[in-house]
Amino acid sequence: MTHDNKSIHPAALMYAQEEKAGKLSRREFLTRTTALGLTATAAYGLIGAAAPAQAAGHVQQGGTMRIQMEVRGLKDPRTFDWPQISYYAAGWLEYLVEYNNDGSFTPALLESWSASDDATEYTLNVRQGVTWNDGTPFTAADVAFNITGWCDRTVEGNSMAGRFAALIDPATDKALEGAITVVDDYTVVLKSPVPDISLIAGMADYPAHIVPQDFDAENMLANPKGTGAYLPESLEVGVGGTLVRNEGHDWWGYAAGKGAFIDRFEFIDYGTDPSAWVAAAAAEEVDVIYETVGDFVDILDGMGWEKSEVASGSTVVIRPNQLAEVDGMQPYADVRVRRAIAMAVDPAVVLELGNANRGVPARNQHVGPMHPEWADVPAMEFDPAGALALLTEAGMADFEMDIISIDDDWRKNSTDAVAAQLRDAGFNVKRTIIPGSTFWNDWTKYPFSSTDWNHRPLGTQILALAYRTGEAWNESGFANAEFDALLAEANSLADADARREVMAKLQTIMRDEGVTLQPYWRSLYRHVRPGVVGGQMNIAYLPRLHEFGFAA
Amino acid sequence: MGLFILRRLGIMVLTALCLTFIVFWLTNLAPNLEKLAKTQGNARMSDEAVVTWLANRGYSQPLPIKYGQWLGVLPGYVIEGTDGDVRARCSTPGEPLETAPTFCGILQGDWGYSTVAKDEVTSVLPVRLANTGKLMFWVLIIMIPSALIIGILAGMREGSRTDRALSTTAIVSTATPEYVSGVILISFFATGTFGMQWFKGVASGAVSDANFENFFLPVITISLYAIGYIARMTRASMAEVMTAQYIRTARLKGVSFPKIVLKHALRNALIAPFTVIMLQIPWLLTGVVIVESLFVYQGFGWELVRAASNNDIEMLLAISVVSVFVVLVTQLISDIGYVFLNPRIRIS
Amino acid sequence: MDALTWTGSLGTFLNPAFMLLAGLLAVAIVAQIVLSFFAAPVTLQSNPDGTLEARGGMLGLTETAVHYLFLGTLVVVVAYIVVPQVMPYGAAGIIGELSKRFLPVWIALISLYTVSIIYKRKLGLYGKLFDSTVGMIGFGLVMFWVFTAIFVGMFDMIATHDYLSQVSGLKNKLPGVAVPEGTEGVIPHYLLGGDNLARDIFSRMVAGSVFVISIAPLATIFAFMVGITLGLPAGYYGGKLDTILSFLANLILAFPVILLFYLLVTPEIVLTGIPSYMAAFLFVFPLIFFGVLLNSRYYTQPSKRNAIMIPVLGVLLWLYLSIINQPGTVINFLPAWMDLFDISILVVFVSVVFVNAPTVFRIVRGLTLDLRTRDYVAAAQTRGEGAWYIMLWEILPNARGPLIVDFCLRIGYTTILLGTLGFFGLGLSSESPDWGSTINEGRKLLLIFAHPALPPAVALLSLVLGLNLLADGLREESLKD
Repeated sequence: MTHDNKSIHPAALMYAQEEKAGKLSRREFLTRTTALGLTATAAYGLIGAAAPAQAAGHVQQGGTMRIQMEVRGLKDPRTFDWPQISYYAAGWLEYLVEYNNDGSFTPALLESWSASDDATEYTLNVRQGVTWNDGTPFTAADVAFNITGWCDRTVEGNSMAGRFAALIDPATDKALEGAITVVDDYTVVLKSPVPDISLIAGMADYPAHIVPQDFDAENMLANPKGTGAYLPESLEVGVGGTLVRNEGHDWWGYAAGKGAFIDRFEFIDYGTDPSAWVAAAAAEEVDVIYETVGDFVDILDGMGWEKSEVASGSTVVIRPNQLAEVDGMQPYADVRVRRAIAMAVDPAVVLELGNANRGVPARNQHVGPMHPEWADVPAMEFDPAGALALLTEAGMADFEMDIISIDDDWRKNSTDAVAAQLRDAGFNVKRTIIPGSTFWNDWTKYPFSSTDWNHRPLGTQILALAYRTGEAWNESGFANAEFDALLAEANSLADADARREVMAKLQTIMRDEGVTLQPYWRSLYRHVRPGVVGGQMNIAYLPRLHEFGFAA
Repeated sequence: MGLFILRRLGIMVLTALCLTFIVFWLTNLAPNLEKLAKTQGNARMSDEAVVTWLANRGYSQPLPIKYGQWLGVLPGYVIEGTDGDVRARCSTPGEPLETAPTFCGILQGDWGYSTVAKDEVTSVLPVRLANTGKLMFWVLIIMIPSALIIGILAGMREGSRTDRALSTTAIVSTATPEYVSGVILISFFATGTFGMQWFKGVASGAVSDANFENFFLPVITISLYAIGYIARMTRASMAEVMTAQYIRTARLKGVSFPKIVLKHALRNALIAPFTVIMLQIPWLLTGVVIVESLFVYQGFGWELVRAASNNDIEMLLAISVVSVFVVLVTQLISDIGYVFLNPRIRIS
Repeated sequence: MDALTWTGSLGTFLNPAFMLLAGLLAVAIVAQIVLSFFAAPVTLQSNPDGTLEARGGMLGLTETAVHYLFLGTLVVVVAYIVVPQVMPYGAAGIIGELSKRFLPVWIALISLYTVSIIYKRKLGLYGKLFDSTVGMIGFGLVMFWVFTAIFVGMFDMIATHDYLSQVSGLKNKLPGVAVPEGTEGVIPHYLLGGDNLARDIFSRMVAGSVFVISIAPLATIFAFMVGITLGLPAGYYGGKLDTILSFLANLILAFPVILLFYLLVTPEIVLTGIPSYMAAFLFVFPLIFFGVLLNSRYYTQPSKRNAIMIPVLGVLLWLYLSIINQPGTVINFLPAWMDLFDISILVVFVSVVFVNAPTVFRIVRGLTLDLRTRDYVAAAQTRGEGAWYIMLWEILPNARGPLIVDFCLRIGYTTILLGTLGFFGLGLSSESPDWGSTINEGRKLLLIFAHPALPPAVALLSLVLGLNLLADGLREESLKD
């Protein structure tokens, strides 16, 4: 770690004061300070704590790790829509920054970074001594190439563009002139016209793989040029894939003590049915279950497998779409209807029945204690009788609500639990279920449906993605000028208390407008066979293959 | 005979053409194409992106033209996309467009590209078929002898307690669909619940290395359902033969019962089950789909479910062709076999 | 409230008796089968004094033992069902309460059997069914579920709780669990436990019977209408018509069933309206069938024909229009007051009919090919009867035996098919209590909780088994004609 204490961001010092004063939780502190460029060690140092020791001593070198995981087809990393794709691609395509379960960011292909005081200018210091696996050095030009690529909205399905919206010119749908500057071989400067505190967080998301400049998505398997320690050996979509150690390549991580203990990764696809995964575990055909859901956590616990758990911001929203038309009217445009829905549902029951109590109840605000800027806004009261009265007042007591969900385990069950509670309150409810392969065709347009949202480091990131007027992923059809203005204000504030004040207003709007049901925060689970180390579940499903190993 | 087979082949080609056109039409309906774009491009793609994605990849052409391209009677598309890339149906990734042939369809031996498996259909499907072939081989090995033995034992003394017991077993087994028996078998023999964890509940290991432990449950699950049906047919046929004049004559002559069964009755009693077994093979396909999904065994049925749920157009077409082939060839074999086995028809 | 045990206080006497008798019965049956392989063929010898001499020795002994043991076991089973009716709530355990819940079904079954057996000589083929043990058992199983469906669906009787309501705290609870105070329901227990979403498994199972009993036979009837209306002329006329229709039937049959379902029963296809058009096409066949049936009979008496046909066809047309007319699909023109049904699973229904019709077509065509050479057909032809009259009033009644048998088998097959759809999650709502979906739901947690998956599996098994046995009985009896 080569952090220079002289250049500590002023806000970081302020956060450290707040943390010590108890105003800020440790995880919030870590997320904020590391996003501003501090290393985790330095951040821990600021508050007088020691960084958790890396438990690497007892790992044995070598071995074959078999991981149960859906094996999906490769494509341009920018368009990755499943973290599982990243698990395979991460063998040779790495990240600039890694996001940790404690909320901090660890530099990977970057050595360090720093942000200007108003969060409009970021200086990225590229790690020196990294080489591509064809021997050429990895430089600032490569980083600039990738960021420019992320900012290209004309690429169909490029989800990185949403994370780098601040750097994109709306006129050309490409990166703004002068937004990305290569200063020297190992320095890149990003300049954004508006303050954006989430750029570093965006670089740590799973589609943010760093690809070479001559990258060809059509041919990425045949020509696996990357910086990582592994090479793809075989990939059969839906069946399995193998990564093997790239023996001829001097991976930068060896010198940095990053690990990469395993010689060979085998990803085996057992389909989407968790009972088949359990069967595979029982048959001892795998060492790691990619993600354990709902009741299967207990089953695998009972089989003696080791569980890793992380409380996350992953959640499910069951939202009415305010713009959707049903039989020629917009049933959910009326705030009374939406509030009635929110009042009739007890989040704790949804958590119990929908997700086997694996998580914590939430308050329909889609910002939670895991986000640094969360404000403690109380939830709406659970009042089924009042809900029906409100619905009747809106003249919608006879309206049949059709709640749509995907066909899977916890999302379907949670939606079923909501439907049952609405029914108990006296609402007229119907349930429709759509297979996973077709659900996403119209997911933003269903009148009333459930969607899962993954964890994002900052609360503003979610609100901007999902609730800002006219956003592509705004599935609730929410359009509120006051909300948009407050959100823009929040995005420009680096100061903690000021930001939380704005956040409180935003969360109150979310609650009072009954924008969505967001009944609980999900804990994520992964099970590994006893003897596997370093395969902890990541809060954002990030692949960290270099940490996997077998206990010595 | 030659003419008969030739005519059957003609019908087969015609059926395959009609069937693939129907599949082609259904999979190319606008909502299905949208599904394809979302699964292949990005699940959360905007509507405009879907339209350009489809247009750039030749999916927006008129249906008959696309079908003609798939057959290989029309030249494959070459489209310059809105993103500046030129894409051609007949190009192979990593090679320049200029070298690509003009036609690439079934007639040229090109079965197209599986959008889910990200590979040529011709390199994926044969592997799956071989896996299912392996499964079916063991199913037939278990199913045919046991079904015939049950049927013959039950049919040789119609109405006896043995007959009642075996017939009831046969009926129960036909009344148990694979998704019920598979579930019950897994819970008994693949979990520790009942202390009988003898087999594995997943069969994906059997693809490369099939052994008793990982292959028994899927094989027995498919077999059970079919055994009952064939056993009942055999029983009916056997019972009918046992009442025939020549058997009665033999018994009156004092030929021993086992000898009558083995030497006189069996041959004639097996004609009907033979045709039934052949016609049962296409029916087994449904069972194969369920069992392969249940046990995660990457065979033909598993590929069918995967292709169908992801709207993998060219894979589905190839699957349809294969299933038409299986259905009609088994029919043909059963007809020819019937002629050979039945002396009355053979002599005339 | 305490949880219920399986047999309550009743079990103290009956359980040991049942175990003993059933165990001995099983041993005796096995012994008998084994012995029968070594024994001489059955020879009933009539003695000069007019008595019959049955087989003696070991085999004879086991045969007698089986007979009495079976009767004994039966008595105990009946006791399990009858005794609880006079016991207070909960005293007879889960089994006793289940038996009480099914009381209307028992009464209906007993009355049906009494009436049928008394008048069996006057009831044709149906009456003959009561001469066959297999047929009676099968019919009993089928009628059990039919009555259950009727009582649940029409009178809201048997079920104890709402099959959709979820009660917090009862998730995956074992059979006999007590529900929390204040929960709505007829009794304060979940008799067969709670499922993964804390719903009453028993109520879901009996609610599922309504679904299966109303869809499977109806879809089979439609498939038969289509198959008969097309199969008769194909077999009777032969030639081009036969070639074309047979080709089409074989075309559909060459499709793997699952692929067909995947192509038809997806939300996308429903969106395009194809199932609605298919429904409009397939469901018009009953109209054609009855139209032709009545017309061919009465066309010589136009006034009588009109008097019969107009009301019959009028009602059928209305039914037809209300079936194909679905709000939210492409065919939606009827005013709401005229639309009788709202079949939300129209697409499932259509697909099942579509898959079954070609097989029926082939059977009818084969039978017609055989029957058209009979003398009575030639006689009718010489009388100058019309072709449709001969097909519908001469050939069809004579083909009824095999058709009825196939009808029973096909209902069973349709039930399995509906379950398959549920298994692949196609077309049905996730909350649907139908057995296929519930089996699929329960299967996922089978490794820790077997109780949610077993009741629907047993129910499906018993219904299909009953239909198979019924078909067997009918076949046996119709062969005796």
